[in-house]
Parts: sequence; C-alpha cells; structure tokens
Amino acid sequence: MKSVATLILLIVTPVSASAIDIFACEPEWGSLATELAGDKANVTVATTAFQDPHRLQAKPSLIAAIRRANMVICTGADLEIGWLPLLLRRAGNSSIQAGNPGHFMAADYVRKLEVPKIIDRSQGDIHPQGNPHVHLDPRNIRRIGIALGDRLREIDPANAAYYDSRLADFQSRWNESIDVWEQNSADLAGIRLASNHRSFSYFAAWLDLNIVATLEPKPGIPASGAQLATLLEQLSSNPPAAVIRTPYANERPSKWLSTQLKIPEVKLPYTIGGADNVSDLFALFEESIAILRELAQ
Amino acid sequence: MTASEINIIVPAFFACLLVLSTHVPLGTEVLRRGIIFIDLAIAQVAGLGVIAADTMGWEAEGWMVQFAAVTAAMLAAFILHLTDKRYPEIQEALIGVAFVLAATVGILLLAGNPHGGEHLKELLVGQILWVNYEQLLPAAVVCALVLMAWYRIRDRLQHFGFYAIFAFAVTVSVQLVGIYMVFACLIIPALATRRIERRGVRIASGYAVGIAGCMLGLILTLRADLPAGAVIVMCMAVVALLFALLLKFR
Repeated sequence: MKSVATLILLIVTPVSASAIDIFACEPEWGSLATELAGDKANVTVATTAFQDPHRLQAKPSLIAAIRRANMVICTGADLEIGWLPLLLRRAGNSSIQAGNPGHFMAADYVRKLEVPKIIDRSQGDIHPQGNPHVHLDPRNIRRIGIALGDRLREIDPANAAYYDSRLADFQSRWNESIDVWEQNSADLAGIRLASNHRSFSYFAAWLDLNIVATLEPKPGIPASGAQLATLLEQLSSNPPAAVIRTPYANERPSKWLSTQLKIPEVKLPYTIGGADNVSDLFALFEESIAILRELAQ
Repeated sequence: MTASEINIIVPAFFACLLVLSTHVPLGTEVLRRGIIFIDLAIAQVAGLGVIAADTMGWEAEGWMVQFAAVTAAMLAAFILHLTDKRYPEIQEALIGVAFVLAATVGILLLAGNPHGGEHLKELLVGQILWVNYEQLLPAAVVCALVLMAWYRIRDRLQHFGFYAIFAFAVTVSVQLVGIYMVFACLIIPALATRRIERRGVRIASGYAVGIAGCMLGLILTLRADLPAGAVIVMCMAVVALLFALLLKFR
C-alpha cells in the first residue's frame, strides 16, 4: 500500500519530471548549462579537469547518462572524436544524435584559431577544424551562452521564460566580469610564456599573451631531441616568464623546460575543478588571471 | 538489475563470449608451446600495419583498416611460424623482440603521421563497453570461421595453421575488448585448467571460468562504476585462482 502511495506521489510531483537531463562532455559546458538552466536541468559531466578530453574510459554510468539525456553539450571541432561518436552510437537515443536540437557542439558558434590552411599529414595531430580549446576566451563563452539559451528554449519550450531570464542575468554578470578581468590584466599584455600543448591559444589571444614556444611543436607529438635543442637555444638568451600547462597534461616536459631555463612551471586551472577554488566559470577566469599576475610581478 | 543496466552490459557480455569462444582453445595451445606473449606481438604488428598503410597514403577507413591489420598480422604470423620451426629454443625471446620492434617502428612512423595514431589506439585499446551490435555481427562471423578452421582444417594447414588462425582471432578480438582482456581470456582459463587431463573437459572448464569471470566482472562494473575491461580481468583471475585451488584440493 505504501509503495502505491509513493508511486502516485511520484506521478503527481511535477518538479523532477519536468527537469531535462543534460550530458556535458567537459566541465566548462556542465557549468555553463547549470548557469543557464538552473534547477530545470540535471547535468552529468563526463570528464574532470584531470582527464584529457581527447581520451575517455568507458564506464557504465556514462552510457546510462547518455541514454537518458535530452541534450549533449560538447566542444566539437573533433576534440572528442576518439570517444563521443562511439558513445552516441551506444546511446540508442535519437534526440541527441547530430542534426537534432539535443546535439549541441559549442565550437560551432565561435571563430576558431589555428585552422590549418592546408590539411597535411606533416602538421601533426592537428584538428582540421582548428584549435578546439575555445572556452578560455570569455567572449566565446558569451556567444556560446546565447546559442545554448536558444537551444534550451527549443528543447523545453514550457520553461522558455525561465531560460530567458537566467540567460539575461548570466550575460549581464558575465559582461561585467569581462570588463573587470580585462582591466585587471592590462599589464599582462605581451608577457612571454611557453606552453606544453596548444591548450591556451584562445586565452592568449584574448589577453594578448605571447606564447613564444610550444613543447609539442606538432600538437600531440612529443618533440624530438633536435627540436628540444633548437627550442632551448632560442629561449635561453631571453627566457619566457614561465612554462604553463593544463592539470591533465603530463608534467614531465614542462618540468624539464622549467629546470633547463630556471623559470617557474605553472599549472593553470584550464577548466572547472582544475584548482581547488575553481568551482564555476567566473572563478576559472579569476584564478587564471590571478596566477599570471603573480608571475608578472 | 534495471532494464537500462541490462542494456549497458548485454553487448559487452556477447563480446566477452565471442572472444572467449576462440581464445580458450587457442590459449591451451599457446600455453603448451610456451609462447605466452604472442598475442601482444601479433596485436602490435596488426596496429603497425594500419599505421604503415596510412603512411603510404591509403586513406585507411572501414574495411581497409581491417585489411591492413589482418595482412600485417598474417605476415607476422608467417615469420613467427618460420622462426618457430627453425629456432624453437628461442621462439619466446623472438616474440618479445617482435613486440618491441613493432611498437617502436610504430612510434617512428607516427612521428611523421599522427593520424595513424588514432587508428592504432582504436585497434589496441578497444573498450568493451563501447561495443554495439553492428560490431558484434562481423566479429561473430570471424569467430565462427576461426573455430571451424581450428577444429576442421587445422591439421591440413599444418604448423602454419595455428599461427594463421591465431593472427585472425587476435586482430578481431583486440578491437572489441582491448589487449589486456585478450591476454586474460587467452591465458587465464588455460592456466586455471592445466591440471585437467581430458581435452574436452579442460576446454569446457576453461569456458566456465572465462564466462564466470566475465559475468562477475560486468556486474561489479555496474555496481562500482569502474572501467569494465580492467574489472573483468581482475574477476577472471580471482575465479581462476579459486577454480585451480578447488581442483588441487578436491
């Protein structure tokens, strides 16, 4: 009798039934989805800041989450090419397949950097669609946020007004923050940095940072001895301020360069959860800028 | 277990069954000949075949990838068959050398051609939970052919027959479940049942150990939400150990 009563209660309780399920490939999109959809969405994030989004281990919970999802939010631009197509095929869920409103690829809404002019095998593990690490330019987050708001309204029209007001609120807070960040980081312009992989190109383009060297001359391929020697020779007369990397990157190459050039090795948060105090998109940019400012002093 | 949980593990369970179907009988032979690491070597050469094809400018897609992989695996099987005939006393060491050579040549080729790297990962790091029914069907056909060859025409193919059949079986299985599970399915049931004299009983017991390990592993994977391949390998080892102890002290 009690279970029948619970069942009836479940059926008549509208809150959980009306929430949409969102599957986010990376923490930054999970965070953006939460900003815009609030408690109208249950968000599952597939990777953490310490996992390379190029690769993913198959776990039962991921398949379960994508099967019940009304929407997937991923970077696209081939970042998840190694696992997302497999996961989508395994989902048996037509609403999130490519071409449907439930399939949202963030990189489709921004102009990408480092798009190769010639797609050539000699260029390394390059993404023909350009550098996919788009979320580190907050102006891209703004554009993607608008597109995501449209998409949420399309998927869940009953709550359209709610999404509109959350989007408006997010955009006004976000635009204010961008102004503050740009003011705070004016003195970072031109700072010279070395990087492990091309993960920070958008961040550098936004703040006018000067990434003078990448430890993987071709993305995804470790440098050869000759390349490292040339790199050292170029950098030793005028060493960069630091070598930066993501939390998921192997620390060995950056530690090596840091020792050789006697410059600090710095882990930037890169995404939500990449540092203890980075719990949302706002904190991500605040913390990244704070770390670099400390370096510049 | 809920319907969606069953949905998640059923294709994986079928993949397990397919791999076990060929690897349990092959494993007893591998153990008898003392060439345990042959599966690692063959799988690595199959991967090398894909990279080489890519480097030579074939746009390796779909069945072309399979063709390159199987061709390279067969070539390796043929060479290892020759060395086994000629230098049986150092065959295990030669297999080890073949493995590191294939792996390192792969790295060198990839230095100029990273796209093959994605194919290599697909080939060597198959993940059992990603398996879907469309992949299972061709794999089932190949496994049926392998088993038929193993029980019907192996003797006519003579010595090379074993290596050729093995190359086929490993190339297909590694893409479904990855190299660790292939190794486990090949060696662990064969080890657990090595005290059983009668061949039919031994193979049947090997299947039982393998299937039990798989089922246990998949259930644990769901409960603990951990990567399936690694959990299955652990479970298969535990089941095998219990089975071997039971045999010994019965």
